[in-house]
Amino acid sequence: MASHPLPLAGNPPVEVWTASVNGKQVQTIIKNYDVLLDVLRDGIGSLGTKRGCDMGTCGCCTVLIDGKPRLSCMTLALEAKDRQVTTVEGLSDGHHLHPIQEMFAECGGSQCGFCTPGFLVTSAALLETNPTPTRQEAMDAIEGNLCRCTGYQQIVDSIMSASKILSEGIQNKPITEPASDPDPGFGG
Amino acid sequence: MPEDKKEIVGYRQQPGKLDFTRPGSGGSSPNSEKRDPSMIPQSQGGELDQPWGPHRHDDLVTGRIIGKRTPLIDSRWKVTGQAVYGDDVRLPGEIIGRLVRSDRHYAKVLSIDMTDVESIPGVLATATGIDAPSAFGVLPVTKDEHAMALEKVRHIGDIVACVAAEDEETARLASAAVRIEYQDLEPIFDMRDGLKDSPDPIHDRDIYHIGESNVQKRVFQRFGRISDLKNSIASYENEWTFKGVNHGFTEPHAVVAHWDPRGRLTLYTPQQVPHYVHRALADVLDIPMHQINVHRTYVGGGFGGKSDPFPHEMCAAILARKSGRPVRITFDREEVFWTNRGRHPSRISMAIHADKEGRFSGIETDALIDGGGFASFGHVTTYYNGVLHTAPYEIGAFHYTGARVWTNKPASGAMRGHGAVNSRCAVEVGIDHISEELGVDPIDLRLANLLPPHSATITGFRVTSIGMRECLERVRKESGWDKKFRKMPLGKGIGVGCGFFISGSGLPIHWDPNKFPHATVHLKIDMDGGVTIHTGAADIGQGSDTVVGQAVAEVLGLPMDMIRIRSKESDTSPVDLGSYSSRVTFMNANAAVSAAMEVRSELIEAASLITGVEASCLVLGDRRIFNKKDPAVGVSYLQALHKAQEDRGALIASGSYRTPPMGKMHKGAAAGLAPAYSFSAYVAEVDVDIETGRIKVEKVWAAHDCGKALNPLSVEGQIIGSCHMGLGQVISEEMKYGRTGNLLNPDLLGYKIPTVHEMPEVVPIIVESNDPEGPFGAKEAGEGPLLPILPAVCNAVYDAIGVRTNELPLTPDRLYRSIEKACKQQGIKDPRDLPNPSLEQTPLSDILIRRAKDHAKRDRERRLNPNPDAYYNGQLFNRHDTGPPEENDPDWTVQVLPDQEYLENPKLAGSAWLHKERRHMEGVE
Repeated sequence: MASHPLPLAGNPPVEVWTASVNGKQVQTIIKNYDVLLDVLRDGIGSLGTKRGCDMGTCGCCTVLIDGKPRLSCMTLALEAKDRQVTTVEGLSDGHHLHPIQEMFAECGGSQCGFCTPGFLVTSAALLETNPTPTRQEAMDAIEGNLCRCTGYQQIVDSIMSASKILSEGIQNKPITEPASDPDPGFGG
Repeated sequence: MPEDKKEIVGYRQQPGKLDFTRPGSGGSSPNSEKRDPSMIPQSQGGELDQPWGPHRHDDLVTGRIIGKRTPLIDSRWKVTGQAVYGDDVRLPGEIIGRLVRSDRHYAKVLSIDMTDVESIPGVLATATGIDAPSAFGVLPVTKDEHAMALEKVRHIGDIVACVAAEDEETARLASAAVRIEYQDLEPIFDMRDGLKDSPDPIHDRDIYHIGESNVQKRVFQRFGRISDLKNSIASYENEWTFKGVNHGFTEPHAVVAHWDPRGRLTLYTPQQVPHYVHRALADVLDIPMHQINVHRTYVGGGFGGKSDPFPHEMCAAILARKSGRPVRITFDREEVFWTNRGRHPSRISMAIHADKEGRFSGIETDALIDGGGFASFGHVTTYYNGVLHTAPYEIGAFHYTGARVWTNKPASGAMRGHGAVNSRCAVEVGIDHISEELGVDPIDLRLANLLPPHSATITGFRVTSIGMRECLERVRKESGWDKKFRKMPLGKGIGVGCGFFISGSGLPIHWDPNKFPHATVHLKIDMDGGVTIHTGAADIGQGSDTVVGQAVAEVLGLPMDMIRIRSKESDTSPVDLGSYSSRVTFMNANAAVSAAMEVRSELIEAASLITGVEASCLVLGDRRIFNKKDPAVGVSYLQALHKAQEDRGALIASGSYRTPPMGKMHKGAAAGLAPAYSFSAYVAEVDVDIETGRIKVEKVWAAHDCGKALNPLSVEGQIIGSCHMGLGQVISEEMKYGRTGNLLNPDLLGYKIPTVHEMPEVVPIIVESNDPEGPFGAKEAGEGPLLPILPAVCNAVYDAIGVRTNELPLTPDRLYRSIEKACKQQGIKDPRDLPNPSLEQTPLSDILIRRAKDHAKRDRERRLNPNPDAYYNGQLFNRHDTGPPEENDPDWTVQVLPDQEYLENPKLAGSAWLHKERRHMEGVE
C-alpha cells in the first residue's frame, strides 16, 4: 500500500487557533493544515466527535459551525477560526438533555452509538431551523450520515418525537424510568 | 409549577433536589408499584395470554420489565458523547503506532531494513514478524495468522512491520521509511483457481494439506433418500455468484495497549470477543493469561467484523512492550477494508426438486467460497453454507458439497448471518421458481412443507419452538399479499423470502473437556440494594447489557435504575465466549436468570423468616416480597435483603448456561447445532425501472420469530437494521476487485452502503413462539432477520419484470443486462413489452392448502403438548420412525465422504475432493 508522504520537512507553520467551542472560548496551537476534527479530538479533547472515514462519506464527524452542519474531517481548522463550533457535548445545557438526545436514547435512534454524535448535531440543526419537519424533511436532513445499525427508521422516529416535544413545549420528560448504570468503563 | 418544584430530569441529576428514597423500599421511586396482572402469565394466575403454552420461567415473572420497550441502558452515554470507543482511550504518555502494510499481492519477504526508520527523531519502537513468531487464529484448528508477516505476505495490506512514534505524523513518516525487499510469487484471485494444485500454496498445513491446492476446508454431506433426490416434476437449477461484502461498521478498528508498572498488559479494544483476544495475546506474547487484562471499550458496530483476534492488537502490545509507553493504533477506513473478515464471495450452485405432491424431494447445493488470505472463521462458514438451509422445510434428501479456498485477497470471515445468507437466498429464490412451475402460490407451498415444533431436521438439528407458520401468515395478511402477488403492473412486484438461523452455537469454538459453561454471570448485591452484574458478554450496540440487566431486574422485581453492569474488563468479568453466533441473549440472559434465581430464593427465605409466611406462598413484586394469597402481608426488598445479609454481608451469586447434549455423531454434526433456532419471513414490495434497471424497494413487512421479545424496542431495531444491511448486499454493496486483483473500492464512497433514501419503510412484526429453553422464551433476533430480505427482493424483482437473476448485488447495470438478455431471448425490442408474470393455479394448490391446514393443526397440538411424539424429518415422505430414519431405512443415507461415483463427475466445490490429503499420499509418513 502506498505510504502517505506528508509535508513534514522542517517546522510546519503553526498558528494560534481561537474559537468558541460549545460556548467556551478555546485557544490552542495548530498547524495550518490541521483539519477541524483533529483539533477537536486531539487539540481540545472533544472526543465525542467521531472519525469514521476521514473523507466526508460517513457523517460521523459532523459538527455545527455557526449552527450549520459541517463535516469536520473535511474542514480546515482555520476555516472555523473565531466561529461558533458546536459538538455533541454542547447540545445539552448540563441539566437537561436536548430533546433530540433524549429521544435518540428513548426511541432506539442509537444502537452502537458511533454515528450518533453526527446524527444528533445534524438533527439539532434541522430542528433549530425547522421545528416541525415532515418525515421526508427529516430524511433529507440526515442523508449525509451513514448508520449501519438502525436502518434509519428509529432515527427518523427519534427526530419526529423530538420535534413534537419542541413544538408542543413539553418539558423533556423521560418516557420510562431513569436508565440504569452501564459500565462507564475507561474515562467514564 | 413553581420553580423549586420543577421536576429535574436528565443525565445530571442535581443532588438534594430529588425526592429521597423512603427507607425500606430501595429505588428512586418512593412507592412500590402493584403487580400488573397483564404482565403476569396465565400459568401464574395473571392475564398475560399464552397461546404457546407455559414456560419454565413463568414463576419468575414479576411483571417489571420483560417485554417492555426499554431504552439501551448505555444510551445516555452515547447521546452525550461520553461513550469511550477504541480511539477515545487516551492514556498519559501515549504514543502512536502505525502498521507497515504489504503493497504486493503475494510475495516472499526477503529483508526488512529499518535503518532509515531508526534515524528519525521521535521513533520509539519498531517490530517485525520475528518479534512474535507464534501463530494465532480465532479457531484453534486453523491458527494461521501472525502479528506480522513471517515469511510471506498474502494480500495487499497484509502487515509486515510496525512502528511507534511520538505523534502520528512521525509514525506515518517512519512507516514509509521501512524498506522491504520482496520476491513476488504468482498470486491467485479467482476462487476457482484455488481448487487447483499450485507451486506455492498460500498456506502450508503440513500433512493435513489438501493436495498442493489452496483448499482450506472441504465438506461433503449426503442425507436422506438420495435415490429419490431427482424424483421431481419441478426443479430449479442455477449457478449463483455473490460478491464479497464488508461489515461497514462506522467505527474503524482501534486499539490501545498499556503495560502497567507491575508488568501486566491492559489492552483496550473494541472487540466482540474479548476472550479470544485474551487467549491469543497470551500465545503471541508468551505470557500467562492472568497477566493480561482485556478491556473492551464501547464498540462502534461489529456485525462479526470485530470478532477475530487481530494482528494489530498484537502489534500494539508488542510496540508498547518495546517502547515502555502506551501505544494507540487507529485504522483509517482503507485499513478496515484490508482487514475485512466480511461475507465470503461465493459461487453457489443450487438445485431444488419438488415432487408431484409439492414436497421438496431434494436440495443439492455446491458452494465454493473465497476465503481470502486467512482461515478466520472459514472452517465454520464452509459448513454453514450447507447445513443452515436444511430447515424450516422438511426435505427428502440433502446433498451438500462445499469448499473454502485461500486467495490473495483480504480474509473473509464471519458477518451477520454467518454463512447462511447467500445459500439461503439461492434456496428461497429456487422455491419461488418451483412454485411458479407447479402453479401454486409460493406462500402456500412453503406453508405445506414446514417442520413441526419439537422435530429433528435431516441433519439432526433439534428444532424446538418454530414460529415460521405464524411469520408467513402474518406477512401474507399485513402485506395484502393475496391481492398483489402476480397481479401488479409491469415494473411493480412483491416477493417473499424466509430465513432460519441458529440462536447460539451448541459447540463452543474452544471446545474444552472441562465442561466450562458457555456463559457465566455473577451478581453482587450489598446493603444499598443495587445489583451489580458482572458479565463478559460484549455489548456491541445490540443491547446485550440491557437484556442481561432486564433479566435480573425481572426476577428480582427491581427497577432498571437499581441495576448496574460491569461487562468491560476481563479482570472483573467472568469468561464469556463473546458476541457472535447470536448467542448472547439466549446464553447470557439464561445465566443471568439462574444467578438471579439464587438471590431470589435467599430473599424469599429471609422474607419467610420475617413474616412467618411459608416460602412457597411468597412472590416478588416491585421491590416487595409478599404473600400471594394476601398481598398486604409482606416485606420490602431492602428489609428482606438486610435479613439475608445477616452474618455474611453482600449477597453473591453465580449463574451459568451450557447447552444440552444434542445432535448426531457424524463428522461436522456440531456445525449449525444450536439450542434454539429463529425463523423469519419477509415480504418486500419493489418498484423496478425497467428501462434503467434501477430498483427501489418500497416497503418491507418483516416478521421474525424471536421466541419472546424481551425488549421489543431492540428487537424492532435489529429487524430494521438487518433489513438495511441485507438490502445493501442485494442492491448496492460489493467489494470490487479489478482484473489484477486490486480492491477498487476500499472506502465508503465506492462501497455503497444504503443511505436513508434507499431504505424502504419496514414494518417489523414480532412473532413470539415461546422457546422452552430460552430465557423467558427468547431466542435470537440479531442475525436471522437479515436472511430473508435478499430473496424477498429478488423474488419481488421477478414478480415486477419477470427476470430471474443469479448474481448480487442487483445494481442497475447488472439488472439491466439481465433485462436486455431476457428481451433478446424473447425477441422483444422494448423492455416495456416484456410479459408480466402471472399465476394460474393448478389443482395442486388445493392439495397444498389442505395439507397446510392439517399441519397447522398438528403444529398447534405439538407445541402445547409437553411430551410430543418424536418427529424426524422424513415423516412427510411417509417414514414414521421413532428414531432417526437412517436407523430403519437402508436407503436413508448419512454420508460425509464422497464415493468414487461422485468423484467421477464432481461439481465445482466438490472437485476439492479430487485432492488427497498429503498424509494419505504415497510416500508420506
